[in-house]
Amino acid sequence: MTDIFQDILDVDDLEVTDSLKADDVDEWDSLSHIQLIVAIEKHWKIKFNAREIMTWQNVGQMVDTIVQRIG
Amino acid sequence: MTPAMTAVQLSQLCPSLEHTYCVTQQVYDAFRLCSGDNNPLHISEIFAHEHGFEGRVMYGNILNAFLSHFVGVLLPCDQVMIHAQDISFHAPVYLGDQLLFQAQCETVSEAVDIVIYKFKFVRNEGGKRRLVARGHVQIGFLP
Repeated sequence: MTDIFQDILDVDDLEVTDSLKADDVDEWDSLSHIQLIVAIEKHWKIKFNAREIMTWQNVGQMVDTIVQRIG
Repeated sequence: MTPAMTAVQLSQLCPSLEHTYCVTQQVYDAFRLCSGDNNPLHISEIFAHEHGFEGRVMYGNILNAFLSHFVGVLLPCDQVMIHAQDISFHAPVYLGDQLLFQAQCETVSEAVDIVIYKFKFVRNEGGKRRLVARGHVQIGFLP
């Protein structure tokens, strides 16, 4: 997960924690957010829906959804 | 104006597409003018020959202009915009070349409403298709 965030956001030393949110990272704009979702869907071979991604407040909630999806 | 549609709908309506483009003198002149790129590889037959090419090498980014046409005009939805693209150039293009453009839907994300097409440009060389360029283009939808 850290590798994906560092690559998409182009921040080599980014520390990805459960509490991390878009406001904490200057490079995490709307297009980067789209790229993150697409990269995560590809990496874990899962699909999110628009409703569930709207509920995420931080990385931890995203991870919770991924864990649920991949069992 | 075409009806609004989602990424899923576009991918179903247009899973793949082919189109032929030609690098005409007019296309070359227009790109040279707008880019201001007067590198001798693109404007000097002598320089190009000296470096092993058949003639002036056309600007690779002319293909990105063709890609823009694909997204903005050929797709059956005009409420689209390019988010990102990548391209690699595998063979030189010369003035007058006819290039077959082939695009195929590779990724769809319903969650963020985007479609990614992989594409390639190929040239017919004596009945054999030679890869000229290939890449991906990510397409989003206007709000």
